[in-house]
Amino acid sequence: MAALATSWLLAGASVARAQVTAEPASAVVFPDPNKFAHGLYTEGEIGAVAFFGKAGGVVSPGFAIGAHVGYDIFRWLALQAHFLGSTHQIAEGNVLAGQLLQTYQGTVEGKLTLRFGQTSIFGEGGVGLARLSTNALYALMVEPRYRVGFTAGGGAGADYHSLSRHFSVGIRGDYLLLTNLSGSQELMATTYLRYTF
Amino acid sequence: MFDPVSRLRGFGLSSPLALAALASLGLGCQDLNTPIYFPSPVTPALAVSGAADAMGNPPRAENGLTLQFRNPTKDEQTELDTQKNTLGFDVPWIQRDHVHLEMTYQVTNTGSTPGMWSIGVDGANEYTKYDENIVAMVLGQGNNDAPQYIPLIPVTPQILGPGQTISGTVREDDFNEAELDLYGIGQWMSPFNAVLINNSQVNPIGIMSFVPPNAVIPALIEIDVNFTADTMMTCNYAIRVRDDDDQLLHNTTDTLFSPTPTLFVPPATM
Repeated sequence: MAALATSWLLAGASVARAQVTAEPASAVVFPDPNKFAHGLYTEGEIGAVAFFGKAGGVVSPGFAIGAHVGYDIFRWLALQAHFLGSTHQIAEGNVLAGQLLQTYQGTVEGKLTLRFGQTSIFGEGGVGLARLSTNALYALMVEPRYRVGFTAGGGAGADYHSLSRHFSVGIRGDYLLLTNLSGSQELMATTYLRYTF
Repeated sequence: MFDPVSRLRGFGLSSPLALAALASLGLGCQDLNTPIYFPSPVTPALAVSGAADAMGNPPRAENGLTLQFRNPTKDEQTELDTQKNTLGFDVPWIQRDHVHLEMTYQVTNTGSTPGMWSIGVDGANEYTKYDENIVAMVLGQGNNDAPQYIPLIPVTPQILGPGQTISGTVREDDFNEAELDLYGIGQWMSPFNAVLINNSQVNPIGIMSFVPPNAVIPALIEIDVNFTADTMMTCNYAIRVRDDDDQLLHNTTDTLFSPTPTLFVPPATM
């Protein structure tokens, strides 16, 4: 009885297989990433920047706003310029507690993207310049005398396409080294809106 | 039905570009209103043991810093001379309207008992130097009373527990008042105790009938900090300067502005 049931199941399965292979080859793919715009793009972002290392002890995390301008050389590779400004408060525990400090950063980055339909993940990294608005960290003996220095680092993020061809949104996190702050690094986490022309 | 994608299409490029524009604006405006900080010459700047002196007065510690400014350029000097001729009296190079000062401080009780501390800020403009210790010494001549210290800017005394730290700020408007007072005392014969005790915005006694309303008030170029406490404490401070016209000396081709302010000595009979 059991053998009869098994043969019936197998027979049914082969019929089903035949039905699948008989479907038309030109099935609609949705969403189709090839229909997403690519090429020149801009991104506006907001988020937060936090310092680590020596500067982390005296500078509180702060609000950040920035922008990317880039170009998709391929769908998986892009070059971009990144500008980010953030504002911070000097933390408690020192003589400048409560004073404000801004950072301004500009980097040139490469970006690799791996797409899964409507969603993609990416990794990015680059080098650039960072500038502090005041000499507050010098006064606290955290940084050398110069307020401008090199920065380098990278990060990763995820992008979700809106299916409107030009727009997508996403989140990213980057970790950068700062040469104008002795032994200090920063983590920036932002959410962005992207427009691809 | 609300369709966010359509709405975003309606915005066109505005959203990302607006954020980009804001970021660019931030980069472009970064040098506006940028303060420069000067830490106290040593750390800790001021430390007292808490042990009273032979007269039973709490110990005092004092130090300060002199801000370094450049000399005016030829054009700037011409402008000052023109303004001076128009007004009929001298016009300072370092002016209160262009150089804005603020002091931040941090007091720590390093002892094992609660104690009271106080800070008095003195200083000098390019004409006059005020030192509360000199004033107290002159006022104390001929009597055995405890010294009477009258700083340019008093910070309200407070009690601090052992191991505790407190931070505070002497704000720009406090310095504005002190700069007006010192200018009146040094240049216009204002009665020093009247102008120092009274806030000129509340009671302009000693200012109103002495200092011309069109006078150009000089800024402090030297800041001296007096610290006193009746137990073991330390005080650190820093001076914040907003230098509107880039008058601080940082270009090696500029020369140092080096006025010689006259020490204010009150009349001994006051």
